[in-house]
Amino acid sequence: MAGRSPLHRLPAGVKLAALMAISIALYPVDQPLWLLPVLLLTIAGYATLGPGGLQRLTLVKPVLPFLLLILVFQTWTQGWAAGLVMLQRILVMVLLANLVTLTTSMDAMMAAVMPLLRPLRWVGVAPHRIAFAVALLVRFVPVLMALTASLLEAWRARGGGRRQWRLAVPLLINAIRLSDHVAEALAARGGIPNDSTH
Amino acid sequence: MKEHALKEQGLVQIALYAALIAALGLIPPVPFLSGIPITAQSLGVMLAGVMLGPLRGFLAVVLLLFVVALGAPLLAGGRGGLAVFVGPTAGFAIGWAFAALATGWVTQQLQRLNLAVAAGIGAFVGGILVLYVFGILGFMLITDNGLLRSTQIMMVYIPGDLVKVVITGLVAQAVYKGLPGAVATRVV
Amino acid sequence: MTLLTDPAASFGFSLERVVLERTGQRVLNEVTLEVNQARVGLIGNNGSGKSSLVRLLNGLLKPTSGEVRVNGRNPADGPEAIAGQVGFIFQNPDHQIIFPTVLEEVAFGLRNLGRSRKAAQAEALAFLETQGRADWAQRPVHSLSEGQKQLVCIFAVLVMQPKLIVLDEPFSALDYPTRLHVLNWLHQLPQQLLMISHELDCLDGFDRLIWLDNGQVRGDGEPARILDAYRQASLAGVTL
Repeated sequence: MAGRSPLHRLPAGVKLAALMAISIALYPVDQPLWLLPVLLLTIAGYATLGPGGLQRLTLVKPVLPFLLLILVFQTWTQGWAAGLVMLQRILVMVLLANLVTLTTSMDAMMAAVMPLLRPLRWVGVAPHRIAFAVALLVRFVPVLMALTASLLEAWRARGGGRRQWRLAVPLLINAIRLSDHVAEALAARGGIPNDSTH
Repeated sequence: MKEHALKEQGLVQIALYAALIAALGLIPPVPFLSGIPITAQSLGVMLAGVMLGPLRGFLAVVLLLFVVALGAPLLAGGRGGLAVFVGPTAGFAIGWAFAALATGWVTQQLQRLNLAVAAGIGAFVGGILVLYVFGILGFMLITDNGLLRSTQIMMVYIPGDLVKVVITGLVAQAVYKGLPGAVATRVV
Repeated sequence: MTLLTDPAASFGFSLERVVLERTGQRVLNEVTLEVNQARVGLIGNNGSGKSSLVRLLNGLLKPTSGEVRVNGRNPADGPEAIAGQVGFIFQNPDHQIIFPTVLEEVAFGLRNLGRSRKAAQAEALAFLETQGRADWAQRPVHSLSEGQKQLVCIFAVLVMQPKLIVLDEPFSALDYPTRLHVLNWLHQLPQQLLMISHELDCLDGFDRLIWLDNGQVRGDGEPARILDAYRQASLAGVTL
């Protein structure tokens, strides 16, 4: 989500460090009432994003069924207080993590974590190669998604049934061929340059 | 003449395979027993181990998770971002990498078996045993449940994953027939 | 035939009794060529060895025996060594474009020529400006049309100022107007072009055609004559 809210302007490193600190700080809390203000503050954080900010709370939806299941289980075995603590803590963490993701561009996030990857050089992985692999991944996700979509279409056009996992075979074969072509095209332009400035 | 291996072929394979796992998230999940959907993505994880071998398979999943953590919505259902790693199923996400590693390693050890069987056994060890160790540990840490209870909750997922184990074997065999050189865990 | 006379663009390649075997099969059989025309087409049926031949020119393949020379250099030293001399345009842009945005893609080759990251980006942007496409810089590649993607591939190669541009069926994904447009644009370039194409009308205005058949040169010379012979042979012996 592009934007100019105060949270957007906070450096990515600060947000990541805060997220980590909060997750550690919340761990020992065992009173449901202490967690409630934290949860409300988190929700207020979404409100600072500007119009439409609060709608982004729905990002948490995929986790909800699972959370309810755990809540029921926890309440049944350890009482409602433990259930509520657990529910609120996970909600806070998931909402905060989403908030960081929403307000930080991938580039900024990448720049913030690159220094942390530097020690990997010692085991022979240069950070610029990681950056290169990330770029390749971002580039080829839409290509392979388009391929998957067209395979699904062809499958349905021929009245394909529910055993859609069979599409994994042509998808794999295509991806392998694609990777051969890409490696060739990469070599034709001189491979990955050595880089220490990234 | 033996074709010379292109420089950077490994890196390209890792990146494209990571992209492939993301693309598999598009295949609509099949609702299975108890309404828990099976996504094709974790199938892709096991296949990563079989197709690329343990190390590259592991790295492909790590790369995907890294980009997901940076904020890309590449997991099934458009999930992504740091939330994946703080939610109750965070252990499974991290376990994927080790599942690919174990799947590849076990498949590699079983050269004398038919590939479908070898990959199936590999996927069972990686995609069930190893994956659930991580999944259950993660769940215990994040929800404060005991080992027994966490295991009980996670059990509902196992039937779906068993189906994927079988499918991994079948898919690996089919690809091997079409492109024998593409399966890194087979010594040609 | 027009020879390249502009010394800045002067270029040429040669093959001397080149044999290439791949997985036990002889793909090229004693091919000898001396090529220094500006616009050269390469035709022949599928499997005749066209794609293999052009891959010898930038070191993606190495000859089993014989010698390849590109502007006096030996491409068998590896594609990395010759990338600045020979630009390669592949059939499918999606197989070739490596980066998510146009600017990164165009800057990539420059990084390989030793530019710093910043210098490469600035130079790439300046290049896009000279092409009137500065607005493409930050566009995600997947949002471009097929024709636009193919142009990006060509930009990414041109910015490295190669002396020879090899095009391996560059038009198969393009519709007719886009094809004409790209073709016209290619003809303006000072570089030597070597183009593989099944679309024979794309070879209008070329200086020389080479017809490969079964790994050997079956015809070589003035385009009208070679095209005629190729058409006749195709009509006479259509065997699928």
